[in-house]
Amino acid sequence: MRPRTLSGRYARTAYLFLLPAILFFAAFFYLPIGNVVATSLRTGPMADQWTGLGNYAQALGDPAVRHSFLITAGFSVLVVAGSIVLGLALALALDQPLKGRVAFRVLLLVPYLTSVAIVGLLWRNILDPELGVLNRLLAELGLPGQQWLNTAPLLTIAAVTLWQNVGYTMVLFLAGLQGIPETYHEAARIDGADAWHRFWRITLPLLAPTTLFVSVMAVISGLQAFGQAYIITNGGPGDATDLSVFHIFNVAFRARDFGYSSAQSVLLLIVIVAFTLVQLRAGRRGEVQY
Amino acid sequence: MSSHPSRRELFRLAGAAAAVPVLASCAGAPSAPAAAPGTFTVYWNAGHDYQAYRAVIAEFERAHRVKVNLQKYQWPDLRTRLLADFASGTVPDLVEEPGGWVQEFAVSGNARPLQDYVDRDGAAMGFPADWQPVTVERNSYQGKVYGVQLHLTCNTLFYNRGMLREAGVEPPTTWDEFLEAARRLTRDGVYGAALNQDYTYMWPWMVQAGVTPYDLETKAIMEPRADAVAALQFQADLVHRHKVAPVPTTGTDYSGPQKLFSAERAAMIFTGPWDLDPIRKTSAGIELGVAPPLKHRTAATQAAGVSLFVPAKASRPELSWDFIKRVTALDVERAATKETGMLMPRKSWVDLPEVQNDPVTKVFADALPTARDSSQQVRLTGQLGRWEEQLKVMYQQVLIQNKPAAEALADFVKAAEGFLK
Amino acid sequence: MRKALLYTLLTLASLVTVVPLLYMVSLSLQTETETLSAEAVLWPQTPQWGNYAELFTRAPFGDFIVNSLVVAGAITLAHLLFDPLVGYVFAKFRFPLRNTLFVALLATLMVPFFVRMIPLYVLMANLGWLNTYQGLVTPFLMDAFGIFLMRQFIQPIPDDLIHAARIDGASELRIYRSVILPQTRPALAVLGLFTFVFQWNEFLWPLVATTTPEMRTIPVGLTLFNQEYFTLWHLTAAGSVILFVPTAVLFVLTQRYFVRGIALTGLK
Repeated sequence: MRPRTLSGRYARTAYLFLLPAILFFAAFFYLPIGNVVATSLRTGPMADQWTGLGNYAQALGDPAVRHSFLITAGFSVLVVAGSIVLGLALALALDQPLKGRVAFRVLLLVPYLTSVAIVGLLWRNILDPELGVLNRLLAELGLPGQQWLNTAPLLTIAAVTLWQNVGYTMVLFLAGLQGIPETYHEAARIDGADAWHRFWRITLPLLAPTTLFVSVMAVISGLQAFGQAYIITNGGPGDATDLSVFHIFNVAFRARDFGYSSAQSVLLLIVIVAFTLVQLRAGRRGEVQY
Repeated sequence: MSSHPSRRELFRLAGAAAAVPVLASCAGAPSAPAAAPGTFTVYWNAGHDYQAYRAVIAEFERAHRVKVNLQKYQWPDLRTRLLADFASGTVPDLVEEPGGWVQEFAVSGNARPLQDYVDRDGAAMGFPADWQPVTVERNSYQGKVYGVQLHLTCNTLFYNRGMLREAGVEPPTTWDEFLEAARRLTRDGVYGAALNQDYTYMWPWMVQAGVTPYDLETKAIMEPRADAVAALQFQADLVHRHKVAPVPTTGTDYSGPQKLFSAERAAMIFTGPWDLDPIRKTSAGIELGVAPPLKHRTAATQAAGVSLFVPAKASRPELSWDFIKRVTALDVERAATKETGMLMPRKSWVDLPEVQNDPVTKVFADALPTARDSSQQVRLTGQLGRWEEQLKVMYQQVLIQNKPAAEALADFVKAAEGFLK
Repeated sequence: MRKALLYTLLTLASLVTVVPLLYMVSLSLQTETETLSAEAVLWPQTPQWGNYAELFTRAPFGDFIVNSLVVAGAITLAHLLFDPLVGYVFAKFRFPLRNTLFVALLATLMVPFFVRMIPLYVLMANLGWLNTYQGLVTPFLMDAFGIFLMRQFIQPIPDDLIHAARIDGASELRIYRSVILPQTRPALAVLGLFTFVFQWNEFLWPLVATTTPEMRTIPVGLTLFNQEYFTLWHLTAAGSVILFVPTAVLFVLTQRYFVRGIALTGLK
């Protein structure tokens, strides 16, 4: 137990260290976010007519908003689960002393480092039902061609997203693995634990802070997914890939209803904060102290 | 241990961090605010940086002793930029827009009426008398002119001469002939036609069927309804029932049909002059035929093309107007057509020898007087964005997902009645 | 046997992920005609190295590169300076409102950037910072991603190390600098890498915050190579290859911090 006075002094130091951050986030995040909330209470192309909670009422009753939220949730589940499992598996594989692992690490991160415009074009070329490489390949194997973006659009863009992000989660897990002292593994090995046990008993619990970070960030970015719809499908066919943030973007910049789009982003913000609080609470329970 | 040294250190830390951007900014960055005196800022489409316009800019710079800052963007980026400008009040002097924004921004008060200049200079420059009527109408609001059309394009039929000759098919002129031709041209791996996934490509069919998208007076949506349903279903049937066209793929570009045409996997497509260049570049071997738009109840097609407008808060509208006058002169139109093949809005442009002597340009020029604007009445309600969003969903549900046209259109009309009331 | 299987799987995965790079390089060496052709050209007949030179004659591409380096570099340095310090405070200090402040911090990640963009643009216009480096850099000096990352990596560091240093009379800033920072090198490498990659590819803010071609960054500059209805893919791809190189080099440089063993030397 530390004496009271000392803990007070640490609190003062903490706030001193935090001061620049508090000022920065107030000016560049909370000021604009306050502005967004104020805009959400207004309507019109210049967002200058007061409407109170009208935009919120409209959003809650809007089938397009509900639809886009539901498909975004489905998309997120696929991408979050996929990127954690695959990213962790690749990180574990490439954490070992393996010949050529540097090359593998670099190659696996390539999609994340490549321009999204090129990635979009690439996948459109690959998936094109008439002229695409994938269907040509299937034809050579004697299989029927597929209309990937027409029959399973959400699954297809989730797969593309996963493909692009898996290297990124891999790198985060790799960094996390470096924080686990070798001695723990040594000790377990001496006790005769096999690799499977060592993974569940040592690696996974000690990796908990990283896993929490990766999953919180994956949920946040999954629920805010935008690029694949913007670049590959344009929200279609019909409204099958009209992801929430893409929808909100269009309400703002195509339909020019900044009030309505602000209200929808505030609602989305509330949902994501709620999700994150649940994750943090669950994560705190799972955290291990040395 | 006390907190004083750490506080001092902290300030030093913060100071060093603050210095990063400040130092960086001294590293020789040219900075020119949008409204700097002596600079005339123009927002332009990155694809329209023609030599013909460069010459106009050079003359304009000499005449007014200003520097033209030509900011080139893609349309969606230009719009994002512009909406941010409207919010902050720092606006460019002149904006090129892709068609439809003029009325939208006139309604919202962000575009400046140009009627006073038109009244003064109109007779001398030939505006509006020398412009195709549709181009004046689509740039006016409440009896005042807010924009001047720069290019005027329309959609017509492209066909592969060789494939038609081989199948013994004449270029179709009506819907029935088109279906018949498409049937005869379709064989293993080759489609008679290819349709676009983008909803704007439904308009030629709709106006040929005599459908009015929206009537401000009567508030009628997509009437006559039966004709609208038939026009939509006709397109879907080409794909799903007669199988003479492939299922289009949803996306952000319009090049699907052109690629199939270039690969000789589709014999006929509907498109505009923008696809001429890609087709000629990629498939020198294809004998490209260009035919007038089809006729159903009427011979008609969709009008498109860019216009110029002046933001309401622009500080030197007199200069902006002078730029508009110079860049829409007949000689400039002639030079731009010669350079790029682009189609122009002046009636006297149609009579130019460059237009009359070019077989392809002539087909387009002859179709221009029948070109209609499909969303003008909707723009005047200020609800164009939601209208387009719903249309996109409806069109793809019919064309790609094979939802019955009657059902999809009924859903669309119901939604549209909600936000147009 | 197990090793062979592992190699096979890794090779397959790498083949799948490396495709876009090969395709991008191929596109960047094709003629415009080849890029437009209906069935994608896998490799150009004659590599068009001139495409790279054309970037510089058609647009102030050298300016774009300098701007991108300055902006992404300055932001990355600022993150490396601020994020670990704030992350350290949230990981190891107890103070009133800690959890509330932390959630408020995380909440900043949950608003898409374009939603804040217009208020931010108005602010920058009022400050007269449009079209300047400080206008491009200041809104991104730190972010919750980096702070959260650093908090998670600092948390497992034993408190005893901090207590011991305090007893030795080290100042708080010194403890941070010589006890905490050396332990977090893998995390700092990740932070630097991802901050740089993210800012290097950032599009929307440089698009609206610059008003002359000479101030554009590479991603915004690349849009000049789009026509109204189609993209000049050979030039866009050549620019994208140039865009790719620094991030790849940075990763090759930082990835050595993820090699087991090196991080632990800090403990001794």
